[in-house]
Amino acid sequence: MLRKPPIIILLCVSVIPTSAGVLAALWSGLDPAALTRVLATPGVGLSIASSIWSGVIATGVSLLLAHLAVALAASGGWRARLNGFALPLLAMPHLAMGIGLALLLAPSGVLLRAVSPWATGFDLPPDWLIVQDPAALSLILGLILKETCFLIMALMAALAQVPSAELQLQARALGYGPLKAWLAVTAPLLQRQIRLPLAAVLVFGIGNVELAIPLGPGLPPTFSVMLWHWFTNPDPLINAQAYAGTVLLLLATTTTLAFMAAANTLLTRLLRRTAESGRRRSHDGFARGVARSVLIVGWSTGILAIAAILLRSAAGPWRFPALLPGGDWLSRWLDVLPVAGSVAATTIGLAVATALCGLLLVLPAAERCRRDRRTRAIVGAWLFVPLLVPQMTFLFGMQVLLVRLHLDGRIVAVLWSHLIFALPYLWGLLAPARATIDPRYQSVAATLGATPLRTWFTVTAPLLARSTLLAFALAFSVSVALYLPTLFAGAGRFATAATEAAASAGSGNLRLASVHGLLLAVLPLTVFALAYTTNSLLFRNRRGIPR
Amino acid sequence: MSALRLDGVTLDIDGKVLFQPLSFSVEPGNVTSVVGPSGSGKSSLLAYLCGILPKEIQGRGAVYAGDKQLTDLATERRALGLLFQDSLLFPHLSVGGNLLFGLRAKQSRAARRQRVNEALASVGLEGFADRDPATLSGGQKSRVALLRVLLAEPRALLLDEPFSALDDDSRARVRSLVFAEAQRLGLPTLLVTHDMEDVAAAGGDVIELRHPQDKQGI
Repeated sequence: MLRKPPIIILLCVSVIPTSAGVLAALWSGLDPAALTRVLATPGVGLSIASSIWSGVIATGVSLLLAHLAVALAASGGWRARLNGFALPLLAMPHLAMGIGLALLLAPSGVLLRAVSPWATGFDLPPDWLIVQDPAALSLILGLILKETCFLIMALMAALAQVPSAELQLQARALGYGPLKAWLAVTAPLLQRQIRLPLAAVLVFGIGNVELAIPLGPGLPPTFSVMLWHWFTNPDPLINAQAYAGTVLLLLATTTTLAFMAAANTLLTRLLRRTAESGRRRSHDGFARGVARSVLIVGWSTGILAIAAILLRSAAGPWRFPALLPGGDWLSRWLDVLPVAGSVAATTIGLAVATALCGLLLVLPAAERCRRDRRTRAIVGAWLFVPLLVPQMTFLFGMQVLLVRLHLDGRIVAVLWSHLIFALPYLWGLLAPARATIDPRYQSVAATLGATPLRTWFTVTAPLLARSTLLAFALAFSVSVALYLPTLFAGAGRFATAATEAAASAGSGNLRLASVHGLLLAVLPLTVFALAYTTNSLLFRNRRGIPR
Repeated sequence: MSALRLDGVTLDIDGKVLFQPLSFSVEPGNVTSVVGPSGSGKSSLLAYLCGILPKEIQGRGAVYAGDKQLTDLATERRALGLLFQDSLLFPHLSVGGNLLFGLRAKQSRAARRQRVNEALASVGLEGFADRDPATLSGGQKSRVALLRVLLAEPRALLLDEPFSALDDDSRARVRSLVFAEAQRLGLPTLLVTHDMEDVAAAGGDVIELRHPQDKQGI
């Protein structure tokens, strides 16, 4: 592995800044005076607790829902369509989902407008604390909507490694109902394979600001939002608190991760015990109906959140019970066009650059370990590390280093920070795709006289084209969604859809947030739609290419 | 065309020798069959000759086409035409595209297309140039794969059980086509098979791969 330069370069791009960032965060964060001040801050305990609470509950529920969705799809024969359902919510950045849900659920939101005044009798928005509730329920809802889709994708990828259809059939033949068959036979096998994505979901749940800013509790906010306020504070003393706090965040996250690993073992044992009970649960129609309804309601909520962003961004002043904003929609969009246009240009430029650089790094490395499953897994695990550390911790550290190196606020720094987050997804998609191409095609090309380079361009590249397009769309979407990396590595000098949306959501200006939120939601969806359309046109007369 | 000659060729996996060193030559237009039980290294022998042996297997010995030593050359410069059991037509190219990929002659685009169409017509596949390879029958795919190899102007033909995946009907026809073409072009041909009908149809020398330990053979 170490004698293959493309693999080494790929790993260095990800591992060096991540580990240096964590070390620098520890170095500048372990400051007793600042730590004392953090611990003396009123509400800090509650704040940490609500971070952990929202992360843990959201992870647990998302895992359950994802398993149920895959089980229903697999037994109902619409497994192929599940990806299509999950994709729009998966492609939607967390921040956009947060803003959309806030617009949907708030007392003056779209949902209450739809039933007012005829059903509720409200002529004014009621004084309810639905969004940003102290129990963090709306934050948890937002996390669940996003992370269920992420885990569905992870489970679907893991399904390819498991003879799930045969196992499921075998269990059904022995008299087990579809749900029980899934939970007892297939789920334990998949559970082993999705440990890393599951851990990433928990880490993100605890440490995110993207959903916690628009949806999280206010007094006190979740811990990461508290740190975010401290970090953007000009007072150096409070700034030092942010660095100290991020070490606490790392501690809280790793402790929770350890607990979750134990819980995972327990869960697997529990599933095995249910398998051994011998109870068939063959009449599970009611349970499946409930699961289906929950999934449909959840999915629709997510889609409505996208619609809510669209409505709000088109509205000027928007009198309460009216469902549709009045006035001239088009002119309002045209008003914001000059601002949104330059933000969009920066966002798109950065996302395209991230995706292209990522492909240039990943494709040669995937080529080098196409025959070596172990190396692929090891590289994949290393690239995944940045998703297992709270973003804040290593980004704070990275920012300290970038300032020292006079690189903060440079485009290189921002691009690099985006790459770190795009690489695990690119690798996860392209490394297996490259490995499944029949190696004999290359042998054939070589015996016909084609040089290795010509073989790559004329045989390998076209066979990889479909996966590469999807990988491009994925990396593009990841980059569009990134908020903290753009903020920290860019030293606040890069105005992307994410930074603008977060800033306006943070200051409570949901109208402005919705304009940038719309951009956030539309860009990934458009690129995915383009990728899928191109894919269906590409090689449409060639049945031999796997779709 | 000149003869294909093997000089002391042997393979080993982790130091275990697969078969005793082979030295023989195949004259132009002749078909020599290599037989042996599965796992005896028949297919790996052809892979070694072409230079596409997997890393786990080590090969030794020299291969000559006439006086030219091939062993030190890269696969793409050996010009040994290899036909696999599966036709392995590139799925992203049309039938004609696959043949154009193989065709070595440097001519105008139109002339190259002309060559490909003539080649297709010569094996009864007239007008197939724009077809998707995935829509062809097994026998048709084999014929296209053969043409692809021949258009690359090989020094010799190496056949890795290329008829075993075909149904009885097309097997005999494809087999006689392959042997007839080899004879017409004067290509020394090495056939790896476990099918005695293939061996009988080939009509040339038969070489049995033996594990070094079985003194008596099979």
